[in-house]
Amino acid sequence: MPATILGLAHGLPPEVEVVGVRRPIAADPVGPSDLALDPGRRVLEQASITAADVDFIIFATMTPDVTFPGAACYFQDKLGCGTIGAMDIRGQCAGFLMSLLVAESFLDAGVYRRIVLAAGEVHSSGLDYSERGARVAALYGDGAAVTMLGPAATGGVAAVVCHTDGRLHDGFWIEYPASRQHPVRVTVDDLRAGRHFPKLDFDLVARFGRERLPAVVGEVLTRARIAIEQIDHLILSHVLPEVGDDAARTLGVPPSRFINATAAHGHLTAASLPVALSEARTVGRIGAGDRVCLAACGAGFAWGAAVLTL
Amino acid sequence: MRNSRILGLGCYVPPKVVTNDDLTSLMDTTDEWIRERTGIRERHFSEDNVGAADMGATAARVALERAGVAAHEIDAVIFATLSPDIEMPASACVLQERLGIGGMLAFDVKNQCSGFLYGLAAADKLIKTGRCERVLLVGAEVHSTGIDLTTRGRDVAVIFGDAAGAVVLGPEDDTARGVLSTHLHAEGKYAEKLWLECAASRERPRLTEEMVATSNRIFPRMEGRYVFRHAVTRFPEVIQEALAANGYTVGDLSLLIPHQANLRISQLVAMGLELPEEKVFNNIDRYGNTTAASIPLALQEAIDADRLRSGDLLCLAAFGAGFTWASALIRW
Repeated sequence: MPATILGLAHGLPPEVEVVGVRRPIAADPVGPSDLALDPGRRVLEQASITAADVDFIIFATMTPDVTFPGAACYFQDKLGCGTIGAMDIRGQCAGFLMSLLVAESFLDAGVYRRIVLAAGEVHSSGLDYSERGARVAALYGDGAAVTMLGPAATGGVAAVVCHTDGRLHDGFWIEYPASRQHPVRVTVDDLRAGRHFPKLDFDLVARFGRERLPAVVGEVLTRARIAIEQIDHLILSHVLPEVGDDAARTLGVPPSRFINATAAHGHLTAASLPVALSEARTVGRIGAGDRVCLAACGAGFAWGAAVLTL
Repeated sequence: MRNSRILGLGCYVPPKVVTNDDLTSLMDTTDEWIRERTGIRERHFSEDNVGAADMGATAARVALERAGVAAHEIDAVIFATLSPDIEMPASACVLQERLGIGGMLAFDVKNQCSGFLYGLAAADKLIKTGRCERVLLVGAEVHSTGIDLTTRGRDVAVIFGDAAGAVVLGPEDDTARGVLSTHLHAEGKYAEKLWLECAASRERPRLTEEMVATSNRIFPRMEGRYVFRHAVTRFPEVIQEALAANGYTVGDLSLLIPHQANLRISQLVAMGLELPEEKVFNNIDRYGNTTAASIPLALQEAIDADRLRSGDLLCLAAFGAGFTWASALIRW
């Protein structure tokens, strides 16, 4: 039985100018569970259920409110969901797609009927906005989206595919805090050297994305047994927006059917795809019954895609 | 719908042993105080540059060999940890590199002491529904680099140890065997009763020199009595939930493996359930609380001690930070 989307909403903090670009930036002390709260309430309304009817929560994030517990626990409390399970999944840029696959498995197994899937990041508190880090810091924004999933006889999520190849993990990473460093995970020297900020090999990350995004879109379409011409909207997420544009061109999808998930707000990691999907629906660009293909590629390296009908 | 079952199990404990007496040279504590309150005699600490995935890879190689599965045949890697090797990407990615594999689904689960069982639940459902055939589930922690080994941090620091455990899961067509059910819970209103605050994305900036140099905000903090009280309620509750979901009662249980949080908790839980001592496996005395690694590590030792045999009804249960708690019922 496929999963269907019973609710979808997003939340972006106000835009602020940082290192020459405008980005949604959360204010102190807002974490991803806070950004997800308003969209969480709205998906309950959309699905016409109360917090007490939710069976399970998955939160996809690389930037939890605190080091532990995960953001799902905070979100569960804020949304008022009693003592249901609340799980954090860390899958970088493909975190939403991985969480969708896990959620779909729980629904399909008949264990749960209503799963709230949140994806949210607060990157701004971990970026180097000085000259040293400006090129990377400019890529990111903060934001969250929440999806309500339930079982459906027809429609909904047609296919999800996810891949990871950790052999390239230090091509796009944040090294510290690092549990492997004795005697302590992070030192004042590490901070002064900026080892706790994201680093990426721009060429490698771009090359990988240009190759894998079209490939994984092809794979998920084959899995869903549909042709790319049957897709109403293609949404791509890559930390470098130009890579998403290149992949759409490679796939022959015209701008009228393409949404670049990282162009408007910067890279929101786990939240990029669902925020773009929700935003496109809010402005009327995507309507009920439209068939959407979503794909992301990034740190891990992780990449994946999904085909779904709203 | 088919079940999943554990095809192979492996563990790794770093060689360096730290006894309670060793800790007395770092902080104001005593062997007697630690043993009385927690049942812990010693724990293991990893060496420099050995992270959760490094230890996890060693455990995984053993699990794969015992399962008769080649690393490249794995179609999902799930890594449960609250002490990842690096901040990003997930330890599951680092583990892939260590095992020389890539291409399959791989992610981390951050669910603290219940992490292994949350990961098991996800692995089970991926296999049950035919989405995966061979899942590698690892639970590993390097706590020793993230605890305050001074008198200020002693209440928490004496509890934790480093370890890794791994299982390979595959399909089981006999639905009366393997993983029968999983049960997951959380109560985020108590998130800050046992937590590690910084780095905190909600702080601006999330890490400062002050935090790192002088504060205790980069170390776990706990209201012990609070955790204890909830644990002794939630453990029996979630064990009973697993039994009831499958039409069993406590009398049907062959073995209970509770997450090794504190020996006094395990003893109270067993007493409350009227489970005789031989039906509960504990090994916290030698490892401390190894969080996501504790259940596979105890499971391995239970098997080695011939406490678990084919056909036995096994319950795994956990409670910890979040609060999160969980159980799984398995026909071994």
